[in-house]
Formats: sequence, C-alpha cells, structure tokens
Amino acid sequence: MMGVIRVCVIAAGVGAAWASNLAYACPSCTSPLEENRQAFVDTTIFLTVVPLLMIGSFIWWIRRRSREIDAVPEIAVPETLLNDAGRFSKGR
Amino acid sequence: MPDDALGRPYSVPARREPVLPNGVLGMLLFVATEVMFFSGLISAFVIGKSNALGGWPPPGQPRLPIEETALNTAALLASGVLLYLANRAFRAQKAVTKRLLAIAIALGGFFVVFQGAEWVALLREGLTVTSGQLGGFFYLLVGTHAIHVVAGFIILLYTYRKLAHGDLDRFTFWPAQIFWYFVVGVWPVLYWQVYL
Repeated sequence: MMGVIRVCVIAAGVGAAWASNLAYACPSCTSPLEENRQAFVDTTIFLTVVPLLMIGSFIWWIRRRSREIDAVPEIAVPETLLNDAGRFSKGR
Repeated sequence: MPDDALGRPYSVPARREPVLPNGVLGMLLFVATEVMFFSGLISAFVIGKSNALGGWPPPGQPRLPIEETALNTAALLASGVLLYLANRAFRAQKAVTKRLLAIAIALGGFFVVFQGAEWVALLREGLTVTSGQLGGFFYLLVGTHAIHVVAGFIILLYTYRKLAHGDLDRFTFWPAQIFWYFVVGVWPVLYWQVYL
C-alpha cells in the first residue's frame, strides 16, 4: 500500500513539473525584446546571489569577531565589583 | 580559586564581550530583510524599464534632476563617512563623537529636505504616481528610501540624545550605525538605476 502511495506522489510531482511549462508564469521569458529577457536573467542572478552574499558575509564577520574576542585575555571580576563594573556591565 | 586584595573570593567567572550583541543581531536580521525588499523593488524596476517601448525615460515625461541629486548623494555619503569616524572616536573622544554625529545628522536632514524640494518641483512638472511607469516607479523606489532615511534620522537623533546625556553604550550605537549604513549604501544603487 505504501509503495502505491509513494509511486502516486512521485507521479504527481513529475506531472506538476511537466504541467508547469504550460503556465508561462514568466512574462519576460516570452518577450520579443531581447533586453527584457536579459533583464529577467540578470535580476534572477542578482536575487539569487544577494542572500548568499549576505549569509557568507555574516559568517565571515562572526568568525573574525569571535577570533578577535578570543585573542583578548579573560579577566575575572569579583562579584562585589560587578554592580559598578562600568564597561563590563553594559559593554561600554 | 584566588582571592582579591580584600580577601574576597572571585566567585564570578570571567565576563567577556558578547560576540554578537542582541541589538546588533536584531538590526542585522532587519537590514537583511530590507536588502531583499529593495532588491525586489530594484529588480522589478529594471525589468519594467527594459520592457518600455519608446526607450527610457519614456518620451513626454519630465527629466529627473541628475546633477542636483548628485549633490544630495554626496551629502548622504558624507554623513555615512562621518558616522564611521564618530564610531572610531567613540571610546576616547566623546566630544569629537558628538560633533561628528551632529554633522552626520544634519547632512541626513539636508538630504530629506532636498529630496522633498525635488519632489515638489517634479510634481509641479507633472510627474505623479499615476502619470506613467516612470512616475510610479520613481515615487515607489525613492519614496520607500525616503521613509527609511526619515526613520534613520530619528534613530540617529535618539542616539545623539543618549550620547549627550552620557548614556550611550557601544551596543546601542552599533545598531543605529548599521541601519544608517544600509540607508546610505542603498542610495547610490537607486541613484544609478533610477536617475542615470
């Protein structure tokens, strides 16, 4: 029974992928203007690359900052001083 | 465990600066969504522009003030540079930070006022949201950016107020800077795409 359901799900997925060609959801793809088709390709690349760049930059920055902080020697602070710890209390 | 000079035990483990303060993380996530938002708007504009029959800008529409806006762009970029310098002076020279931050805010204000004057002139020339594709895209893109500049301006004013009261810490200053750098950074892209 599970095998039949699996085959049906796969068949539905393949069918949907084939049928989507008929939808023509992208008006620029069939545009007679070459510039318009190119703009669609360019913006697709742009919108794909931007989030990847942001995530990559974020990881790079976190690694760099983490290493910077690791390089600073740890300082133990007595509890009695914590209430007036200045830069340690609020990150000043 | 070693004791301090008064013989009290060091009961608290070493405290370290957080790698990513909450305010900074929150602002980075917000700015990331904003970057995608503006990327979507700019992409729509680029495709719309490439689809325009009769060339771009469309014939019969007022021309956008390229030279005047270049001056305004320089003012906004300068405010970003001054904010960066204010951050560098933050630890050691509070008075310098205050002065630089004040000039950066003033330049941001100048940008908003100049932009408003430009809009009034363009509306008088007949460029409205409904006058065509150029007007629709122009007010959408530049207007959305203007809202962000006003928000950034208010955030910087709040930051300045805290600084003036001696109540500003680094982790409050950073998110304000991140937002302003985003506002400053996205503008040259808009200027290049919309005006040039």
